Amino acid sequence: MSTSNDQNTELYGILAEFRNPKELVDVSKKIVEAGYDKFDTYSPFPIHGIDKAMSLEKSKLGWIVLGHGLLGFTLAISMMYFMAVVDYPLNISGKPFFNAPAWVPITFELTVLLSAFGAVFGMFFLNGLPKHHNPLFNVERFKKATDDGFFVCIEARDSKFHADQVQQLLEAAGATHIEEVYD
Amino acid sequence: MSHKPTITDSLQFSADSKLPTYLFGAGLAGLILSAIGYFTNTDQFFFSYLVSFTFFTGIAVASVFMVLFHHITKSKWGVVFRRIPETIGANLWIWTIFVLPVILGIHNLYHWSHEDAVATDHILQAKSAYLNTPFFIVRQFIYFAIWGFVGRKLYKASVDLEKTGDWGITSLMRKISAPAIPLFAFSLTFAGFDWLMSLDPHWFSTMFGVYYFAISFQAFWAVMILMAYFLHSQGYLKNTIVQAHIYDLGAWLFAFTVFYAYIAFSQFLLIYYANLPEETLWFYDRLEGGFQYIAYGMLLFRFALPFLVLLNREQKHRKNVLIFVAVVVVVMHFLELYWIAMPTMHPEEAHGLHFSWMDLTTFIGLGGIFFGLFFRQFKKNSMIPENDPKLDACLEKTYHH
Repeated sequence: MSTSNDQNTELYGILAEFRNPKELVDVSKKIVEAGYDKFDTYSPFPIHGIDKAMSLEKSKLGWIVLGHGLLGFTLAISMMYFMAVVDYPLNISGKPFFNAPAWVPITFELTVLLSAFGAVFGMFFLNGLPKHHNPLFNVERFKKATDDGFFVCIEARDSKFHADQVQQLLEAAGATHIEEVYD
Repeated sequence: MSHKPTITDSLQFSADSKLPTYLFGAGLAGLILSAIGYFTNTDQFFFSYLVSFTFFTGIAVASVFMVLFHHITKSKWGVVFRRIPETIGANLWIWTIFVLPVILGIHNLYHWSHEDAVATDHILQAKSAYLNTPFFIVRQFIYFAIWGFVGRKLYKASVDLEKTGDWGITSLMRKISAPAIPLFAFSLTFAGFDWLMSLDPHWFSTMFGVYYFAISFQAFWAVMILMAYFLHSQGYLKNTIVQAHIYDLGAWLFAFTVFYAYIAFSQFLLIYYANLPEETLWFYDRLEGGFQYIAYGMLLFRFALPFLVLLNREQKHRKNVLIFVAVVVVVMHFLELYWIAMPTMHPEEAHGLHFSWMDLTTFIGLGGIFFGLFFRQFKKNSMIPENDPKLDACLEKTYHH
């Protein structure tokens, strides 16, 4: 725990390491109970139930995907309607210009394509990616988060943040290592 | 983290339950009434019978299919309700009896079985190496020999495992399941060709087999959901089959709704687009004479409604929503088989779509026997495969919002 503070750096948050996923889930519940909402957990693999323990609200990604899917659907129908009915109608083996069954594959493909775009870019958007720098990268120990480390970081921008209380809470929860993170 | 989950439910279906008796009673009444129909309108009897027969047989074969891929993938998700499809499979050999009316009604059902018709029909002559009466009969017994044997064998293996606790039996189950999957795929494909596609012997669709598989499998998941809730309503397995397991069934129903739509629409689109006379006529007959309403009904209630309702994760564990969707799918499954078979008997020239009371009596008849057999067998052993090595992992499943 270093308290040495450069003049032009400010406290980003307090990082604590735990032994295993279960402890991470338990401490998340405690942090929520204590009333913090600006914190995040970091683990080498997805942990079932961590979102519930952290009281995260349901992701809005589904709605973004739905919106994009509907947009793709509408675009496909209106594009083909313009081409095959308005702009250049062709009689193809006596079938109607508005040839709904034949339009299904393209409608399906564009719906799926735009849904996929919505899913990928919506995910980036909600995650705040791409991000070139994160203050946590200043912590040497944090590299373990991609190997065998289970971390939680309570951020200083949390309205309830007081360094002492946060330290106490994390110590009481059984953290193996606690460190202040500066940006 | 690793504690053995305890089962708080009674695992034995009440041995003195009168349910099988009632079901057999309803089934017999239905069959006897239908037998009267045989004398009043023989053709109608056989067509109605065929629709109900393909309905229940398809679901039964799909049940064994589910057990097969459950074993082959070493799945954990469905162990708690695996006994239900296993028990349906255990009765498939008895179900051989019910293919006999199809064989007896061959002249009423299948145009190609008339030798005089074949004599003047070049197309039927070309197909006669496959579509002839002796080979048709032989094939029926081959199908049921495969299904009956595998279904019985897997049920017995599962019961043996429960009684002896010998986990080595799981590898026996896999050894049976692996070769059984291609056998089932081929037998169900050809059964679909025989029973339904050859009603219109001039028509062919190479994907008809997978189409019959897809419609039967979608209905199977709906039946599983209804079965799970039926057991709950009788006070069984309430803490064993829990929300996480029901959610999986809902997800399967959703997945097979999409699969069904993909297969059914692909079959239609390829034929519609190519516009070859010998292929389009089948759909032409099924998009007129009142049958078009069933076709649009399938689009709306067999695909659009289940798809939109089950798309959201929350809906897949809501009891009333799932039961509603499952009932709609089961009803549409019956109507779809009706839509496949009946235009051969009631083309537009002959009034088109009209239901007969025999559609109902044969359905009640075969359904009563089907579920009577099921519950008679189901109460003989535990309702879940106890001692299964993956049971604990399945019981530990919890639902994550």
